[in-house]
Amino acid sequence: MPQASEIAWLIPVFPLIGAVLSGLGLICANKKINNSREIVSISLLSLVGVSAVFSYKTLIEQIDGYQSVEKLFVWASAGDFTIPMGFVLDPLGSVMLTLVTTITLLVMIYSHGYMAHDKGYVRFFTYLALFSSSMMGLIISPNLLEIYVFWELVGMCSYLLVGFWYDRDGAANAAQKAFVVNRVGDFGLLLGILGLFWATKSFDFNEIAIGVSQSVSENSLPVWAALLLCFLVFLGPMAKSAQFPLHVWLPDAMEGPTPISALIHAATMVAAGIFLVARLQPLYSLFPSIQFIIALVGTITCFLGASIALTQMDLKKGLAYSTVSQLGYMMLAMGCGAPVAGIFHLITHACFKAMLFLGSGSVIHAMEEVVGHQPVLAQDMRLMGGLRKKMPFTSITFLIGCVAISGIPPLAGFWSKDEILGNAFISFPAFWFVGLLTAGMTAFYMFRLYFLTFEGDFRGENKELQKELLLASEINIEEEEHEEEHGSLHESPWSMTFPLVFLAVPSVIIGFMGFPWDSKFANLLDPEEALIALESFELQEFLPLAIASVFIASIGITIAYQAYFAKKINLSKLFAQRFPSVNKFLSNKWYLDDINEKLFVKGSRKLAKEVLEVDSKVVDGVVNLTGLVTLGSGEGLKYFETGRAQFYALIVFGGVILLVAIFGFQSPQVT
Amino acid sequence: MSSYFFTHFALHTIGTLGGGLSDFPWLSVSILFPIGSAFLIPFFPDNGEGKQVRWFALSVALITFLVTVGSYINGFDINNENVQLKESINWLPKLGLTWSVGADGISMPLILLTSFITALAVLAAWPVKFKPKLFFFLILIMDGGQIAVFAVQDMLLFFLSWELELLPVYLLLAIWGGKNRQYAATKFIIYTAGSSIFILLAALAMGFYGTEVPNFEFSHLANQDFGQNFQILCYIALLVAFGVKLPIVPLHTWLPDAHGEATAPVHMLLAGILLKMGGYALLRFNAQLLPIAHAQFSPLLIVLGVVNIIYAALTSFAQRNLKRKIAYSSISHMGFVLIGIGSFSSLGTSGAMLQMVSHGLIGASLFFLVGATYDRTKTLKLDEMGGVGQKMRIMFALWTACSLASLALPGMSGFVSELMVFTGFVTDEVYTLPFRVIMASLAAIGVILTPIYLLSMLREIFFGKENPKLTEDKNLIDAEPREVYIIACLLIPIIGIGLYPRLVTESYLATVNNLVDRDLNAVKSLPKTNVFAGNKSNQILKAPTI
Repeated sequence: MPQASEIAWLIPVFPLIGAVLSGLGLICANKKINNSREIVSISLLSLVGVSAVFSYKTLIEQIDGYQSVEKLFVWASAGDFTIPMGFVLDPLGSVMLTLVTTITLLVMIYSHGYMAHDKGYVRFFTYLALFSSSMMGLIISPNLLEIYVFWELVGMCSYLLVGFWYDRDGAANAAQKAFVVNRVGDFGLLLGILGLFWATKSFDFNEIAIGVSQSVSENSLPVWAALLLCFLVFLGPMAKSAQFPLHVWLPDAMEGPTPISALIHAATMVAAGIFLVARLQPLYSLFPSIQFIIALVGTITCFLGASIALTQMDLKKGLAYSTVSQLGYMMLAMGCGAPVAGIFHLITHACFKAMLFLGSGSVIHAMEEVVGHQPVLAQDMRLMGGLRKKMPFTSITFLIGCVAISGIPPLAGFWSKDEILGNAFISFPAFWFVGLLTAGMTAFYMFRLYFLTFEGDFRGENKELQKELLLASEINIEEEEHEEEHGSLHESPWSMTFPLVFLAVPSVIIGFMGFPWDSKFANLLDPEEALIALESFELQEFLPLAIASVFIASIGITIAYQAYFAKKINLSKLFAQRFPSVNKFLSNKWYLDDINEKLFVKGSRKLAKEVLEVDSKVVDGVVNLTGLVTLGSGEGLKYFETGRAQFYALIVFGGVILLVAIFGFQSPQVT
Repeated sequence: MSSYFFTHFALHTIGTLGGGLSDFPWLSVSILFPIGSAFLIPFFPDNGEGKQVRWFALSVALITFLVTVGSYINGFDINNENVQLKESINWLPKLGLTWSVGADGISMPLILLTSFITALAVLAAWPVKFKPKLFFFLILIMDGGQIAVFAVQDMLLFFLSWELELLPVYLLLAIWGGKNRQYAATKFIIYTAGSSIFILLAALAMGFYGTEVPNFEFSHLANQDFGQNFQILCYIALLVAFGVKLPIVPLHTWLPDAHGEATAPVHMLLAGILLKMGGYALLRFNAQLLPIAHAQFSPLLIVLGVVNIIYAALTSFAQRNLKRKIAYSSISHMGFVLIGIGSFSSLGTSGAMLQMVSHGLIGASLFFLVGATYDRTKTLKLDEMGGVGQKMRIMFALWTACSLASLALPGMSGFVSELMVFTGFVTDEVYTLPFRVIMASLAAIGVILTPIYLLSMLREIFFGKENPKLTEDKNLIDAEPREVYIIACLLIPIIGIGLYPRLVTESYLATVNNLVDRDLNAVKSLPKTNVFAGNKSNQILKAPTI
């Protein structure tokens, strides 16, 4: 059998075949395939499973030191240009493949329980398979252009999945917003790719870096142009990985089914931006000012996400802003020139954030039994509380996730986040401080989520509160008045708890892969860098930073405990009432959504309307003024209605033919 | 018609059949077969419903398609940049008119596209109940006329075919159109007939240039050494004529009206093929025969292309009528053809060709879906739609697939062609860097605008709560197999090209390379300006001779 690395291109093909087949089935034999839903989901699951087996095999091969594989073919060509496509498999790729296939598998198992009663069960699995295929394709892309192709495809899958419940207006708007905001990033990415291709005649990551550094040193490419191109390319990751100010789509994308939030909008797709920046490290490391911009954007994002998460009442939105914040950390790592640390955090974060989201899905699933299928109610933490007693697995795994993300040792989040902060301390001390502050906020808002959801007394039966919430969200209550048969809270089925328990394991132990004094992870991704890190490691430097971040995290947890569990501090009195403007600023999400709505959405609508006015009044007006058409449409109309115009047209037509025929009697000659 | 001509033609045909398939007059047959068959339609027994006629028309269209495929397989060598499958019969020597047909790389893909889309349009016209005989008669005439436009190798003949295709469209609009059909049809005929006078003028000028006996053959014209001013005059005339067809903003206002009133099958032909006639003719005449003028005008083409992309995308966004929305989106997509033609790079020009083929497929699919949706909702106003995705799930899926193709999603043909145009234009050293940067950035705004109007259109039709007014209607049935089949036929090549573009690009690469070399030689003679990066070899221009 050949080495798995050599045939890695098969990894995305398996789920793709499955997605195409079930997609065709949905269009051609809708009823039949919906009736055999289990067969479809099991086959798709096993196809992703095959990919997962391959991915693990490639990972083992890469750990054993098998060389990186790259294979290309000519995809399009014209003149002197050729555009190659193909695949590459290196340590980074194999790690990402393993991560994506594992989480996809778990999410698929989870979805079997979560989507059990949904009419679109088969469609959901088809989209999932399609997404996983595109994501794997993105990971093994050998050049920028191919990345762009899969970049768009994962964006499309995200569009389809966010808008999965398309009868909900919220979902429809969120899906469109996600796609369009991402396209703003892609605008930059595309121009950047084109510009880099112009400058270096290549789409390949390394060749671009070499080409750019050569042209800059030879003065054939001005530095400002190189910087501009780097920044344009960076716009793509900014949108995909929800960096400020293009993060606005991610919280809205929570309108999609919760398994999607876990898979696409927490663990995998949003990490694609980080992944691309990691791939482009050879290029970005040439320009310190670009590194600085990346780090700055990352820092702003990480602080912004955490600050907004402080006041969120919607469980999923809270987690979404937390994702934004964590992605900011990863980007900060990239800007500090520590891609290994960023990718490490990407992996640990994928494990515990996927678990947290799946846990929130489990909570929502249970809440829907009590308050009905209205997201405004089922996801609001004001109606939750005390769920720990009813949902032991969910609450324990959620707690593990909270501890992990807060950065309490020895759980995974501590190791990865601390590595980033350590790198930031060396490169940009100011950013380190903001990152440290954010770590405290993270601990606070995560435990706030935990205490509000799982501890205290259950508040879901409070009808008045429900009505108030519905009113506040401007949803027509009468429509929702129909009494559903309410059940009681209970733990979710095994298919949903199993992925939670499974993910809890890496959330606890995967950090051990990346001890700063012996990082197996860095050894795999970048052995040279790891050696340097190992030699320069000193416990006296590591300990103060680690203690500082653990200390600030404990403060966050303590405040959350006092405020939401012990109820000894009244935060709304202490903080919200004293600084109403800050509170308002945070709960309005820094007003970024409003600015977006007013400036871009309404602005573009207005502009489009004005152009249409010009088109119909001015451009077409000139045409009509010439009188030719007004003749036909006004007085002349009667003339046309009698059919005489057609008659005349036929006469003209006949005339031409007759003319040709008459001349045709001239003797023709064959040449 | 000339009996002698036909007799001779028949003899020629029979004679060559014995001589092997490569001598078979493939192109003449694919032009004359549908036209000849159309004249049989009046003799069909008429039961008023057209059940026999539509089968007849479908088989004729299919045979025509097979003949064009046959010509591609048996007589066309993709490595040869010259005109192939040549047939030349001296038809009207007094007028200098020759029945001269042939195909090179830039006509062959469009000939195949024409016969393919027409066959699908006939299938799309299945429900036509009003005067079906006349309808299918006109469609078949159009089929032949359009293949002729792409296949003829004589400029006068080109003008005749251009006119021949115009009348069926006029009648199809005026008889089967919507409420405003008279206005739209009149506007269409005045615009196109008016503009085609420019073709005639240019053709006469070029045919009589420098010779006693007029000669309109492309091969003759290509070797003519037209003076610069003469070229510029002809270029302007032809640009106006073809700019109406493509269309180029601001010559486009006939299109939303015509497209807004046409029925679905006519619509497919209008968007799928008619617009391509403009692009093809620009390549064939302006870029190929008038290289010096082309070199001077191509910056204008690029600017107009960018204007097309942005202007039409914005108007499409504001449109509340579904058909007009998609009509404007067609205009926007044609902007890429203009940029590609003006790019002086073989990658960009290939991209323009591919964009024509690709938009032919995508535009036809979208317009077919509009028609199919209208059959059900009985309205085209977006304000009156909403939430129909729950009743028409398959329809929703087809719409989504075609809209994603239209917004240039990778994996579909539109992405490849736009990418080729972008890459070709940006990497091409003919233009100065600032010009390229500005134009490429502006054109790339289309990348943002296209999903905005297409996705909000999808949302308004299908997403959201069910619209009670529409769902009361029992007509809201899901897509039937015939409709799924038509869209599948269009999506397969769309995705095929998207995955492996060389399927199509290889067929015209040689010709395009040749054409671009010629234009590049011309552009080298131009002095350095704000737009052009400058002359590499300073040729002395010939003095104007007109």
